[in-house]
Amino acid sequence: MAWQSKQREIGTAGWGWAIFAGIIAFIYFFPVLWIILTAFKTNADILAVPPKFFFTPTLENFVSVFSRSYIKGQAAVDTGFDRFFFNSIFIAGTSVLLALVIGTLAAYGFSRYPLPGNDTYLFIILTTRMLPPIIVIIPIFIMFRIAGLSGTYPGIILLYTAFNLPFTIWMMKSFFDELSPDVEDAARLDGSSEKRLFFKVCFPQIIAGLAATAVFGLILTWNEFIFALLLTGVETRTVPVAMAQTIGGDIGVRWGLLAAIETLFLIPVIIVVFVLQKHLLRGVTFGTIKR
Amino acid sequence: MSILSVTGAEKRYGSINALAGTSFEVEAGEFYCLLGPSAAGKTTTLRAIAGLETLDAGRVVFDGQDMTGQPVQGRDMAMVFQTFALYPHLTARQNLEYPLREAGHDAGEIRQRVGEIGELLRIAHTLDRKPSTMSGGEQQRLAIGRALIRRPKLLLLDEPLTNLDAKLRHDTRAEFKRLHRELGMTIVFATPDQLEALTMGERIAVINEGWIVQIGTPRELYAAPADRFVGTLVGAPTMNLLPAAGSDGKVALPFGEIGNGPWSKTLADFPAETELLFGFRPHDIRLAGPEAGPALRVDAKVHLTEPLGDITVLDLEAGDAVFKMVLPEEEAVQYRVGDRVAVEINPDKTLLFARDTGAAIR
Ligand SMILES: Nc1ncnc2c1ncn2[C@@H]1O[C@H](COP(=O)(O)OP(=O)(O)O)[C@@H](O)[C@H]1O
Ligand SMILES: [Mg+2]
Repeated sequence: MAWQSKQREIGTAGWGWAIFAGIIAFIYFFPVLWIILTAFKTNADILAVPPKFFFTPTLENFVSVFSRSYIKGQAAVDTGFDRFFFNSIFIAGTSVLLALVIGTLAAYGFSRYPLPGNDTYLFIILTTRMLPPIIVIIPIFIMFRIAGLSGTYPGIILLYTAFNLPFTIWMMKSFFDELSPDVEDAARLDGSSEKRLFFKVCFPQIIAGLAATAVFGLILTWNEFIFALLLTGVETRTVPVAMAQTIGGDIGVRWGLLAAIETLFLIPVIIVVFVLQKHLLRGVTFGTIKR
Repeated sequence: MSILSVTGAEKRYGSINALAGTSFEVEAGEFYCLLGPSAAGKTTTLRAIAGLETLDAGRVVFDGQDMTGQPVQGRDMAMVFQTFALYPHLTARQNLEYPLREAGHDAGEIRQRVGEIGELLRIAHTLDRKPSTMSGGEQQRLAIGRALIRRPKLLLLDEPLTNLDAKLRHDTRAEFKRLHRELGMTIVFATPDQLEALTMGERIAVINEGWIVQIGTPRELYAAPADRFVGTLVGAPTMNLLPAAGSDGKVALPFGEIGNGPWSKTLADFPAETELLFGFRPHDIRLAGPEAGPALRVDAKVHLTEPLGDITVLDLEAGDAVFKMVLPEEEAVQYRVGDRVAVEINPDKTLLFARDTGAAIR
């Protein structure tokens, strides 16, 4: 009978609460909604007082993301934003993937073959993320200069990989710690080598955790600004940096253009979260439910 | 010929001696029980046999081969873990297939064996489900199936019934005996439950604090426990133990003196007033008959009654001692708390232990 009462509780969560939750969600989501609306407005509609909720949508802002004239009266030229979007996707994707591969293997090691002083190593790994970026940025900038990594893809990808590693290792270790060691012993008895054991027994069990870690890593990397500003060049520039450089110019801030860039910038994140959402929920709640 | 022998196995975890020189031998085809309380070292012993644990000292010889230091993989043995340790990401069918795939069997063979095991263990209807959606009993049978499907020479079972409810446990005991009879493999079965050990084990090794205390058939352990630990572990309700003093081959109890026990001869050589523990099982006490026999007659008072359905356990008070006796329900109904009852303790079946060491005196 226990399940019945449980189900009823969920069923009768009530309209009151549902509307309340809806209002809260709307407040949280409103800035995003406003940006999306702004992206479809003409400049006149954007600056209208009181603000307009109903207007004739235009795609003009989206067109000027990719090509526009910089000086009044001149012909429109390519802005290079297609390149910047590619850079953002390529750099974030590659570095998160690298961090996941390295971090998952490291986490498995930390979890299953602890060294003397294991926790100290883990702590040290985490301390690399405790310093504010502004403190480490000058030494890194100089190192990149000397190593010739400034403005290159390998440079920024390496940096973001290192950036994502501590978090990935800690997350993945906690997922591995949750797995029953008996299951692995069972696989050993069933004849699996240590390598097959990892790929056929451990790995499939932590895919949800992997998805959650990937999403957090992607969001972090996707939005990163300071390192990208200093360490990427014209060729490797990411969207956040390019966006910042779009502000200003001879006709003041073009809000519609910025909103259009932001709207486009949101799309990949939404797609990733949508695709991984089933795993994401499980990954985030992993370990909070004791089996 | 013994198929498995463990000799002087020692294993330390920090300051804990999980195994302190464990030795025993298992015959081919035997149903061998490791009986001991929690933390006695049962799991550690099984894991050492499987090679999952490296011993600090001692040897494991299996099927004529020294297994010490050999890899876990490729041993002709399987283990059922107390937690079942099913592969949570695989369906029941894939769980059964796993060991066969690792061993490189072809698809036809795999299909056939999975079918057979599904029938044998009555889990054919759950084969396409994940373990988490199966009941406790189904999970347990799946775990056994995964162990059996390779047809190993030796099956190690670590408390496979502990996580099941009482009814299921009872049915599964019979199931294990049937499987053992039908498949004829050697089984080492670890359990903290004396009833499981007595009903299933052909031989039982009682283990405590990493030591094998006694090895014997269920009957031997019940009738002639090596020490007080085995005496009180085996049998339910627990054996009565009363402090006593021995002199001249006789034992002085709070309610009288008893002689002519199996221990009389040995006790005669002991110094007077030796401190003893006198053991007698609740099942071996009778209601006193009209004429006096060789048994010790005790006039007692009913202290407590505990009806268990077909039998009733009476707590009796005599002298300043309290002990239990078991009566069939129909004989017990006449007694109320406070009633007087005369009972007889037959010396033949009584046991004697040294109070300091706990060792049996026979
Ligand atoms: N991995 C381990 N680390 C530390 N102590 C352990 C470990 N495994 C077992 N022990 C200890 O060894 C003793 C025997 O354990 P175990 O073999 O699991 O007992 P049982 O299975 O009979 O309950 C216990 O005191 C237990 O706490
Ligand atoms: Mg155990």
